[in-house]
Amino acid sequence: MKKALITGITGQDGSYLAELLLSKGYEVHGLIRRASTFNTKRIDHLYRDPHNGVKVLLFLHYGDLANTGNLIDLIYEIKPDEIYHLAAQSHVRVSFDLPEYTGDITGLGTIRILEAVRKSGLNTRFYQASSSEMYGSAPPPQNENTPFQPRSPYAAAKLYSYWITRNYRRGYRIFACNGILFNHESPRRGETFVTRKVTRAVAAIVAGKQDTLYLGNLDAKRDWGYSPDYVAAMWKMLQHGSPGDFVIGTGEAHSVRELLDEAFGYVNLDWKDYVKIDPRYYRPTEVDYLLADASLAKSELNWEPRIFFKDLVRIMVDADMELLGLDGPGEGKKIMEAHHGKWHRWQDQVISMEG
Amino acid sequence: MSRSVIFGVNGQDGSYLAELLLEQGNEVYGWIPNDIPVQLDNINHIIDRISLVEGSLKHKGSLFECISDIQPEEIYNFASPSSPYDSWNSSIDVGDYAGLGAARLLEAVRNIKPDSHYYQASSSELFGNPVEIPQNENTLFQPRNPYGIAKLYAHWMTVRYRQQFGLFAISGILFNHESPRRDLKFVTRKIANTAAKIKLGLEVELRLGDLEARRDWGFAKDYTEAILLMMQQDKPEDYVIGTGKTHSVREFCEITFSHLGLDYRDFVVSDKRFMRPTEDRQLVADPSKAINQLDWKPKIEFKQLVKMMVDSDLEKLRSSMYLG
Repeated sequence: MKKALITGITGQDGSYLAELLLSKGYEVHGLIRRASTFNTKRIDHLYRDPHNGVKVLLFLHYGDLANTGNLIDLIYEIKPDEIYHLAAQSHVRVSFDLPEYTGDITGLGTIRILEAVRKSGLNTRFYQASSSEMYGSAPPPQNENTPFQPRSPYAAAKLYSYWITRNYRRGYRIFACNGILFNHESPRRGETFVTRKVTRAVAAIVAGKQDTLYLGNLDAKRDWGYSPDYVAAMWKMLQHGSPGDFVIGTGEAHSVRELLDEAFGYVNLDWKDYVKIDPRYYRPTEVDYLLADASLAKSELNWEPRIFFKDLVRIMVDADMELLGLDGPGEGKKIMEAHHGKWHRWQDQVISMEG
Repeated sequence: MSRSVIFGVNGQDGSYLAELLLEQGNEVYGWIPNDIPVQLDNINHIIDRISLVEGSLKHKGSLFECISDIQPEEIYNFASPSSPYDSWNSSIDVGDYAGLGAARLLEAVRNIKPDSHYYQASSSELFGNPVEIPQNENTLFQPRNPYGIAKLYAHWMTVRYRQQFGLFAISGILFNHESPRRDLKFVTRKIANTAAKIKLGLEVELRLGDLEARRDWGFAKDYTEAILLMMQQDKPEDYVIGTGKTHSVREFCEITFSHLGLDYRDFVVSDKRFMRPTEDRQLVADPSKAINQLDWKPKIEFKQLVKMMVDSDLEKLRSSMYLG
């Protein structure tokens, strides 16, 4: 039985990855912060999963990415076959307010783990959650050879981790991969991210609980994919014959305006009646146009996305409506059930969402 | 007259810069770390003319206090572990001091003295194994060691603070620059110092790695003049500083030993233990932007630099022998 350690297991990607790995028979270990308000909402359902009566092999450990000694102890104790390093201060806008903290956790956290892996002498495979934000203003489409131009303290810290991962692969022959993931969303996306902010607002407007949605730049274009598709790509990278760096995205870019069209249109509303522009939501330096060229992942890993923009929006709106006790149009629910295996189930969505 | 604080004043570059600023009648504060051992040899001769302050790049509070107490008009950040090769053995600390240290200092500047001018000491190590020859301000960065990666993070943070927060923040991408004050772990000073010892009968051989490795070597004092020029421009921009010419380790040895009346072939031994895995790379500067925009050019030629370093080591060794 393989053992995996996931940092950031309580996040969107970490929780889906835990589900995927448990379904594959892994023993899954998760690193969580010892904080007064930590939130395990996205993984609580994994403990109470009743089906087939098997004990759930999920173990949580307190750990701190700012503490090297603690990470060495943990890795030595668990002896994981695979580490998925997803934990980060992941909010781009917040990184302008907390640049040092972002650099410490999102940047140095990675080298602390890689040093722990190196010192443990284990043959642990390592996945680094790199981000399309590293491309900044580079013209689309972006692939593995596109030069990076980080436009935020978050992107600079992620780029630090990207290079450390590559250099530990080259210098110490560690099986270390960078997944350069473009935006990926789901019902479990944090509510401060624009996709979730929009789908939550649609549900709240339908429920009569909200009448205005404030947004920033409507013209920014993103390549939005579905998080469960992307955690499958992470797993594939670590099963591959040799380590490498891979861009993961859908190859479609859409503007925030199109997101509004789809989300409001899905429930027959016109977003222009509800949306107001608030310049405070503009990022200090806006990344303009992100569009993935994921052809390497397709040819090398045999990975392709199953859910694209339109279906993604439907899944998210259905889930947010259900969360508020409303009956959504239901197309999203059907799409999800048709496209994914039994590891990824509709009934786990709403119970694990942030309210 | 302006008030400057130099982080890492005791290093090669910090000490030359302190001299230049003092010559121009400026008030100079010299920052040294209080959490790692420091050598003050490079600044002993000016120590009465600068105000020393201590602190830690690992602690934001210490940097905030420093900027708040001094209220400097100019801030120069040279403080960092300086050897790329050692950085594999202390990768976390290098990231913390050279990378995050710059982020902490930039935060202090932005919060306390946002109208001051900030200089970030960047390095040709940003280019790593370069994608083009020579390298200019637009060449792709591909760092090859934890030092280069930390320096790249500091570079991007400097650019961010300039573009996002409007700071007068400059990243100077300096190629190798040497002087009699260069640390002994660097190959140039090792050659000059060991050759001088051989001349005086204190050593019998000089063990080196790849003699064909080539570098763009300039004189550190010339480079600190370029830094001053960058800081005096109307607009903050990044500059590549180098000579644009490369020389091999073998040439460095030839000039050194013949200056001492010796033949390097009688003393230099190539030792595999000193070979670096990355010696095949061609790091050479294209400093045309600095030449055109700053009206800067290096004054000291390679041969003069080598001789200066040998003469200095010979003199230091001789005087210590007579004293001893």
